[in-house]
Amino acid sequence: MILELRDIHKSFGEKKVLTGVSFRAESGRAFGLLGRNGAGKTTSIRILMGVFPADAGSVTIDGAPIDYRRTGIGYLPEERGLYPKKKIIDQLVYFAALKGMKTSDAARACDRWLARLGMSEYRDKRLDTLSKGNQQKIQLVTALAHDPEIVILDEPFSGLDPVNAMLLKDVVKEEIGRGKTVLFSSHQMGYIEEFCDSIAILNRGEVALTGDLRQIKRDYPRDRLAIRSAQAEQIAADFPGQAAPAENGELILKLASPEEKRTVMQRLSARYDIDEMRVYEPSLNDIFVQYAGD
Amino acid sequence: MEQFWKILRFELKGYLTNKVFVGVTALLVAIIFLVTFFPRARELFGAGEPDEPEEREVMLVSGGDESVRAALAQAFPEYEVRLTEGDIRSPVTGGEAACAVELHGLSDFTYFVDNLSMYDDNAERLSGVLADLYRLSALTGAGIPPTEAQAIMDAQVSFDVQSLGVDQGQNFFYTYVMIFALYMVILLYGQMVASNVAAEKSSRAMELLVTSAKPTSMMFGKVAASCLAGLLQLVCVFGSALLFYNLNRGYMEEGGILSLLFDMPLALLGWMLVYFILGFLIYAFLYGAIGSTASKLEDINTSVMPLTLVFIAGMMVVVFGMSSGQVDSPLMVACSYIPFTSPMAMFTRIAMSHPAGWEIGLSVAVLLASCGGVGVLAAKIYRTGVLLYGTSPKWGDILKMLKKA
Repeated sequence: MILELRDIHKSFGEKKVLTGVSFRAESGRAFGLLGRNGAGKTTSIRILMGVFPADAGSVTIDGAPIDYRRTGIGYLPEERGLYPKKKIIDQLVYFAALKGMKTSDAARACDRWLARLGMSEYRDKRLDTLSKGNQQKIQLVTALAHDPEIVILDEPFSGLDPVNAMLLKDVVKEEIGRGKTVLFSSHQMGYIEEFCDSIAILNRGEVALTGDLRQIKRDYPRDRLAIRSAQAEQIAADFPGQAAPAENGELILKLASPEEKRTVMQRLSARYDIDEMRVYEPSLNDIFVQYAGD
Repeated sequence: MEQFWKILRFELKGYLTNKVFVGVTALLVAIIFLVTFFPRARELFGAGEPDEPEEREVMLVSGGDESVRAALAQAFPEYEVRLTEGDIRSPVTGGEAACAVELHGLSDFTYFVDNLSMYDDNAERLSGVLADLYRLSALTGAGIPPTEAQAIMDAQVSFDVQSLGVDQGQNFFYTYVMIFALYMVILLYGQMVASNVAAEKSSRAMELLVTSAKPTSMMFGKVAASCLAGLLQLVCVFGSALLFYNLNRGYMEEGGILSLLFDMPLALLGWMLVYFILGFLIYAFLYGAIGSTASKLEDINTSVMPLTLVFIAGMMVVVFGMSSGQVDSPLMVACSYIPFTSPMAMFTRIAMSHPAGWEIGLSVAVLLASCGGVGVLAAKIYRTGVLLYGTSPKWGDILKMLKKA
C-alpha cells in the first residue's frame, strides 16, 4: 500500500500554511515527517486524517482517493489528552468503538494491548491517577487498539523513560513488521534515523527535502573522512585548514575532492595509529539543520 | 448513525455515573418526599392531641363605644379587640398590642401599627366595617327599624362565573412551573454541555475525538445525551412527586399548591414535553458550539453570556405576558413563532389561551426546522472551533470559517 499526499495547499484565513506539500509513505516501512515548530506537520497530518479538507491537492492510497470508512488510521497526537476523570478501560473501548469496532471486540483488543504494554493493573483506574509516562502508554493504546493500516505517531518518545522508550520501539518495530504504514513526526532525530527508511522535511509549509534516507545521505558528496585516533592532533597539523574535531571526539577531514579518498586513507593508515576511519555521512541532524534552518 | 449511538451511550453513562448528578437528583427526591409526607406525618404524630388555643394578639380601639368594639371583634376574629382611653401608641411600639385604631367619629380613623407588613390590609377592612356602621346608624337615624336596616345592609347579590375558554388563573400555576423547569434545565444543562466540550478541548481529548468521529455525530450525540439526562432527572423528580402525592392524597388540603400542579391535563403535559425537548435541543446545540470556541474552562461563563441573556429576555417577556394576563398580545404572538422563545411563549398560549391549530403547528414546524439547522450549524462551528487553541476566536472569524466549511 502506498499512501501519498499530492500537492496539498491549505490556508487559514490569510495565512498560507501548506504550499504544494507532497510525500509518499509505503506499508511495511516507517516514514519520518520532520520540520521545525509551525512548519506545517500537524496540518499535514490533519489533512491526511480528513479532519479538515485541503484547499487543493489530494490524499491517495495506491493512486485512488483515500476512503476513510475503509482505511483505519491510528493517531497518537503530540498534544496528549484523554478524559482524566474516566475509567481507563471505558475510554479505551469508547475510542476503539468510535473507530468502527464492535464494543466486545474493542474490549478484547484493549485488554490485549494493556497486557502487551504491562498496564493491565491500571485497567479500572482513573486516568489522572497514572504517571505521565503511563498515561502516554494508555494513549498509545488508543492509536493501536483498532488495528489500523496507517499509524501516525506524533512525538511518540517524548516523556518516556529509557525502559518505556525501548518497549515503544519494540511495539513500533512489530507494527512495521506486520506491514503497517508508520508515520513518525518527531524532533528527536535519533529515533527517526533508527526507524525511518524515508523522510520529508517541511520548512514553512513546503517540502524542503523528501526521499529515501539512505539515498539522501549517499547523495551527499563523499569528500569527508571521519577518523578516530589517539594522534588526532598530529593528523590535524598534517592537514592544515582541512581538519575539524567533531562533538563525538572524531576528527572530520575535508578532502579536496572525493577522488582523493583512497590515497589519503592509505597515507593516514601508513603514518598514524588509526582506531577507526570511514567516509563521513551527514547525520539526520545535520541534514535537518541544513534544510529546515533559516 | 452508529457513531451517534456510541457517543450518546458514552456521554449518558458519564452523566449517570456523575456523583453530583446522582446526588442532586436524590436530594430533590428526598426533599419532595419530606414535603409530600409531611401532612401524613403531622397527622400521625399529632393525632388525638387537641390544638392548644392560640393566644390572640390585641387590637386597641380608642374613641369608640361597645357597639363599635363588638362590630370590630366580629370583623377581626384573629384579634382580641379592647377599648382603651389612654395613649394608644406606646402599647403598639412596646409590643403589648399588635395594632391600634383611633376613631375620630365613624367616618374618620387613624390606624397604628409598629412595622407595616406588605400584606397588612387591616386599614381597608376597618374602613369597610366602619362604613357599614356609619350607614347603619344613618339608616336607623332616618327612622328605619334596626332589624330592617340590618337586612338592607346585609343584602347579597348572587353571581356565577363561567369561563368558555381557558381558566387562566387555574392554568397559571403549572404553566409557571413548566417555564421555570425549562429555564432551570436549559441554563444548567446548556452550561454543562458547553463546559463538557470546553473540558474535552482543554484536556486535548478533542485531538482524538475529531479524528475518530464526525462532528455532527459528536454534537448530536452529546446534546441528545444531555437532553436525555435532563429528562431523566425531571422524570425522577416529577415522577416521585406524583407517586408520593398519590400515596398521600388523602392527607392533602383540597385546592393546595400540589393538588393544583398534579391536576394538569394530559394534553398539556404532552405539549410541555414537545416544547421542552425542542427548546432544550436548540439551546443545547448553541451552548455546545460556544463551548467549542472557548480555549479555557474559565472563559465559558463569559462566552455563553450573550446566549443566556437572549434566553432570559425571552423568559421575561413570557412571564410578564403571563402575569398581566395578556398572553395573546402581539409581542407574545411574535415570540411564539421565534424558535428561541416559542418553547415558552407558545406553551404559555396553549395553556392560558386557545391559539388555532395551525398556529401551534407552524410554531412547532419552525422550531423543529430551526433545531435541525442550528444543530448542523453548531456541528460546523464545533469542528472549526475545537481545533483553535490560544485566544478565543472572534465571531467574525467564526462566520468566515463557517462559509468555508
